[in-house]
Amino acid sequence: MADFTVRASSVDVEQIMRQIRSRIREKRGVDYTEEQIQELARVKLERFLDPKGVRSDLLERFRQLPADLPPTYDFDDKTLFTSTNPLVRVIRRLLNPFLKLLFSPNALNQVLHRQALINRYLLERAEREALVYEVLHNLVVEVTRSTIEVKNMKMRVESIASRLEFNERRARALEAVVQYRSDAHPDARHDDRRREGREEEASGAVDPITGGESLRTRRRRRRRGRRSGAAFAGGEGGEAAAVDAGSRNTGDNGAEDAPRGADDAAANGSGDDRAASAAPASDDRETSSAEARGQEPDAPAPHSDGRGTADVPPGSSTSES
Amino acid sequence: MRLGVVVQRYGAEINGGAELHARYIAERLSRHAEVEVFTTCARDYVTWENALPAGVSQVNGITVHRFPVTAPRDVRRFAAMSDLVFTREHSVADELSWLDSEGPTSPALVRAVAAARDRFDWFLFFSYRYYHAYHGVRAAADRAILVPTAERDAAVGLSIFGPIFRGVRALMFNSFEERAMLQHAAGTQRLPGVVVGVGSDVPERTEPGRFRRKYGIDGRFALYVGRIDENKGCAELFEFFRRYARAARNGLQLVLIGKSILPIPDHPQIRHLGFLGDEDKFDAIAAAEVLIMPSYFESLSMVALEAWALGTPVLANGRCDVLKGQCLRSNAGLFYENYPEFAETLHAIATGPMLCEALGRNGRHYFRRHYAWPVIERKYLETFDRLAREPRNATALEPLPGFFARRRRTLPPAADVLARIPSGPVTR
Repeated sequence: MADFTVRASSVDVEQIMRQIRSRIREKRGVDYTEEQIQELARVKLERFLDPKGVRSDLLERFRQLPADLPPTYDFDDKTLFTSTNPLVRVIRRLLNPFLKLLFSPNALNQVLHRQALINRYLLERAEREALVYEVLHNLVVEVTRSTIEVKNMKMRVESIASRLEFNERRARALEAVVQYRSDAHPDARHDDRRREGREEEASGAVDPITGGESLRTRRRRRRRGRRSGAAFAGGEGGEAAAVDAGSRNTGDNGAEDAPRGADDAAANGSGDDRAASAAPASDDRETSSAEARGQEPDAPAPHSDGRGTADVPPGSSTSES
Repeated sequence: MRLGVVVQRYGAEINGGAELHARYIAERLSRHAEVEVFTTCARDYVTWENALPAGVSQVNGITVHRFPVTAPRDVRRFAAMSDLVFTREHSVADELSWLDSEGPTSPALVRAVAAARDRFDWFLFFSYRYYHAYHGVRAAADRAILVPTAERDAAVGLSIFGPIFRGVRALMFNSFEERAMLQHAAGTQRLPGVVVGVGSDVPERTEPGRFRRKYGIDGRFALYVGRIDENKGCAELFEFFRRYARAARNGLQLVLIGKSILPIPDHPQIRHLGFLGDEDKFDAIAAAEVLIMPSYFESLSMVALEAWALGTPVLANGRCDVLKGQCLRSNAGLFYENYPEFAETLHAIATGPMLCEALGRNGRHYFRRHYAWPVIERKYLETFDRLAREPRNATALEPLPGFFARRRRTLPPAADVLARIPSGPVTR
């Protein structure tokens, strides 16, 4: 994760914005350009995501004739000479041979008849094309929806895999702590103190987001604050908390004997945190990023919704762990 | 030295950006010169209806000449004319009709400026896009100084304003972005163009605690000050903030100050306090973790400057070149262009006390260096001195085209002209 370079004397907004953008890209997983995001946003997603959007009356529409198509006509060999008036019909029939002397009406009849057939065929085809387009559209919708779902599933698998890995490491670390406690070694104290010293040094680095005190320092302070807060609360609860804090302090001393095997468990926690109990040490690690964001331990990152999924355009990563 | 300030509206109770700017400048320059204001009787910037009495009056010790508007704005006609000149090929006559339809149409004001021309050394015209500035500059070009307060909107692309920008004696810009835009749009490079802006009467001491007690606000909050309007980017702000609040459970609250035109979302972390006086406003700014400026179009955000003066960081809409440029030049604010950036930047400010402190410190320094009143006054006075040394006819206003040429519909849509003007912040 990128760090903000915030010194007491200066701040470079351009650099901070670059870092923020690179962090967003990391969170998204898939690096969409701004244009692509805009394009995605312009698509009516509800049509893609809502299965009800696929038309259920498709078959009926197939059977229906569109009303706005122009009507066709029938044409046969009598159409040219027909008339509602019988006398006209007779005269035309009498003069037909004469007409055939001048030009060939049969050829005209045949061509126009064929044209009428072609017209009818084209009309039917146009109606079918509209329906085929509808089917294609729905297919595209379904395929797009499936693609998005596949992407989401992939991301979820990635997220679960990383959580699984984390849990495995956590389990190993806890096992190591339990093993250590059964046969503690006094020499381990020195290692632990050395490690604490290293952590103190590391904690002097500037927090990537806050640009101020380190996450670890703040977390430790907060825990102390909570304990002391409880102790100052007064009444029975306060006393109980004070007693509890005292007992933890006793635990702290014990924890100074922590072995090398406990390094994993304590990697993200200070000595006193770790000593409070083995389980909270691992909790610390889980909550550290959330606390660093100034949220409750369970709170998601700003881009994530309550379920921990990214609140960014589809296809982006949700991994927060 | 005698100065005339010509502005579309004027009054102690008028808080529009350019109008307030004009009032501040008039009041400040009255310490160095004899200042009189020429304005209309309008109070409402949409209708321009005559709400104030015509004649001479005093506002905070400044003599104000008010002139009636001949007709209120016909909104439909204005919309139709805007559509014509912004999106279709049109003529100079169409643009002049658009200007009339926009208003505030006050020929009496223009006549008064023309008549008083010899009495004043300089006329300061505010807001290039209105009737008073266009015709006023034509009436007194040889002593006209224009404060364009130009935003990146299509009006900049109208051809009638080119001669105005080129024909005044000097241009007083609000930002480097505005200067760059007008240099591209109208070729104003050879004119004296000073980036000045405006100062603000920020109190020496603020009482954030008093504000919190008075309005019952606990916890940390982001602040928006200004008209709550879709045009100011507030709809987008609400959408982004609701998403942010959903994700960051213990994040900042959003406190809104200003008159609301847009419905305020019913959200436990959004508080609307309505319009507040200056004292409460400054206390609120001092109490806030960050001031959010969601507007897409600003020629200069006075409230952002006030926030910087009080050491409060600013989170600006990065699509507004001016705000983005100011954030970059001052190193006193972050900006966003989409929701993820909004959430990350707000989160960075909310959780980074050192970052906040550094941004606030830079803001104070930036304000003192560029927007403190002595700096602003000095820039104006130096410009007057410089212009006084130049001959009066240093610039000549280009005449309008002839009868037939004026009616030839060959001008490109103003929106297309604007699109060709390069955008982006000036980082210098």
